Amino acid sequence: MRRMGLAGLLILGLLAAPLAVWADEGSCIQCHAPQPGALGEPVALWRGSVHQGNGISCHGCHGGDPTLMSMEAMSPERGFLGAPEDSAVPSFCGRCHVGVEEDYRASAHGLALGEGGPQCVTCHGSHAVRVAGLDLINPQDCSRCHDYGRAGELRTAMEQTETLILALDAELKQLRRIGIAVEDWQGRLFALRNDFHRLFHSVDVDKVRRQTDTFQAKLAGMQDEVAELRAELNQRKWIGAGVVILLLAASGLFALLRQSYGRQENTE
Amino acid sequence: MSLRKTLVDWLDIRLGIRDLLEQNLTNYLLPRKINIWYTLGAVLLTLFGLQFVTGILLLVYYVPDTEQAFASVQAIMNEVPYGWLIRNLHAVGSNLIVVALLLHMLSVLFMNAYKKPRELTWLSGFLIFNLTLVLCLTGYLLPWSQLSFWATTVATEAPGAIPVIGDDIVRFLRGGAMVGDATLGRFFALHVMGLPLVFGLLVGVHLFCVRRAGISRPPFGEDYQGEPPRYTFEHEHHPGGIPFFPNYAVKDGAVICFFLAVLAVLVFFAPNLFIPPSAFEPADPFVTPPRIKPEWYFLWAYQTLKVFPSELIGLGIQGVLMTLLALLPFLDRSPERRPAKRPLFLVCFVLGILAFVGISVWGHLS
Repeated sequence: MRRMGLAGLLILGLLAAPLAVWADEGSCIQCHAPQPGALGEPVALWRGSVHQGNGISCHGCHGGDPTLMSMEAMSPERGFLGAPEDSAVPSFCGRCHVGVEEDYRASAHGLALGEGGPQCVTCHGSHAVRVAGLDLINPQDCSRCHDYGRAGELRTAMEQTETLILALDAELKQLRRIGIAVEDWQGRLFALRNDFHRLFHSVDVDKVRRQTDTFQAKLAGMQDEVAELRAELNQRKWIGAGVVILLLAASGLFALLRQSYGRQENTE
Repeated sequence: MSLRKTLVDWLDIRLGIRDLLEQNLTNYLLPRKINIWYTLGAVLLTLFGLQFVTGILLLVYYVPDTEQAFASVQAIMNEVPYGWLIRNLHAVGSNLIVVALLLHMLSVLFMNAYKKPRELTWLSGFLIFNLTLVLCLTGYLLPWSQLSFWATTVATEAPGAIPVIGDDIVRFLRGGAMVGDATLGRFFALHVMGLPLVFGLLVGVHLFCVRRAGISRPPFGEDYQGEPPRYTFEHEHHPGGIPFFPNYAVKDGAVICFFLAVLAVLVFFAPNLFIPPSAFEPADPFVTPPRIKPEWYFLWAYQTLKVFPSELIGLGIQGVLMTLLALLPFLDRSPERRPAKRPLFLVCFVLGILAFVGISVWGHLS
């Protein structure tokens, strides 16, 4: 019994435990997170950002070696880039966002770089970067540099397609939540959204209008495929409802039989 | 002569099958006042049978390799005909089994059916309950999802709190310093072969004990006389009782169908009730998902460990509690089985349930 008690203790030890395990986030975060002011703030801002959500940590942008717990982690020999100058921000971000940088540089925004024109961080912020959406185009932010009029037109031109993209994205997330393999669709939608958002960086309303039909046709194709799957899932539910009704009917039938036997037993 | 009769005659001459069926079905009498709670054993046998069948079907397509496990489960869910149904029945069914096991144990506790001469029945049942939880834990890792990886990392970390041998136990369980290929290999072997073998043996022992000692009378009603003292083995007969078949078997059938209907509702309409979103992401040792929580039936233990300043104290208290529960028939030796005549036990019973639910909810919200 004593042995069994020890075994029970061990089993319980295995079955229940506190959640104190955290992934190693690297030396950048370990050193900077506790620091006050500008040295620590970026970590707090980065948490919850789209970059963190996709596994892009400090060294993904700033370089360096997060496996070293010394100042050498931030040496140029370890690929450390530090924070870029304002005019170097587009190249800094463009290492990953290649297409966006290309369209931006060809746009009125990009052409004004270094002469008061905006760069990536002006609109998107730096560390607390969220998934880019149309809410970035708003009177408050755009009016910091120019009238909202043209920007508002651009937003209106993009709104319908953006709404379709968001709706399809939400639908795919729901499907993923029930174990449906949506990676292919999500990959295609991701690429489509990137192309569409890249289009915005040209800040060319006519270009957006010209290409909207192409984007919407591609979206409609994906929506049809998803609708087909939804129909199959609904069919499963109907079959499920039938199975449940049959089982409940069988349960009721057995219960009635039991009642009948019960009456028979009482008369014996 | 019909084929059926020919076959039964053939078997009867060789195995005495008619006598066997009579003894165990039609002439096997149960207490007249037997209630619905006695059906839970049959419900559990059915649900375990379903786990066995769906488990074998999953084995056909599952690949126990860290590089392929998640993809193979995805393929089962999306490409294998009715794979989604088989997998959901297996995953959701395991949760329903824990519910049925808890109800079964609570009903046995409430009716004090664990007492002499049924100590071994209780003990084997208690071991089956724990083994089921270990089966759930080992099965949890197999899909190699974020949930699998991190829940197993956390669970296998716990014995590390034991002084001196803790780290060795952790390494033994994982097959290395981290949860990885070796962990998946040993959990897979345990889940599909080692544990089911022990489990089958224990179920056999449990059923043997139930059949050998006889079904206990429900301790209710004015005509309940209490248990006579026993000094030698005596099968508990129920003269004037009702035959197991068909009279009581139909009640078993009714409750089994009801439980299967509940399972079908969950599988077809709410399969995610027991499956959090991180179960649909492939395991990534470098990204800890937010709000990783153990399964609902481990939440009480999870929260208990958090309450105490040291994990070792928490583990110790849980171990003591579980040991007390296992040894209850040997500690509670009073022959009285009527709940109404055992107010202290009744208070402990209700408080125990409230504490389990309360601590679990606390663990969920914390």
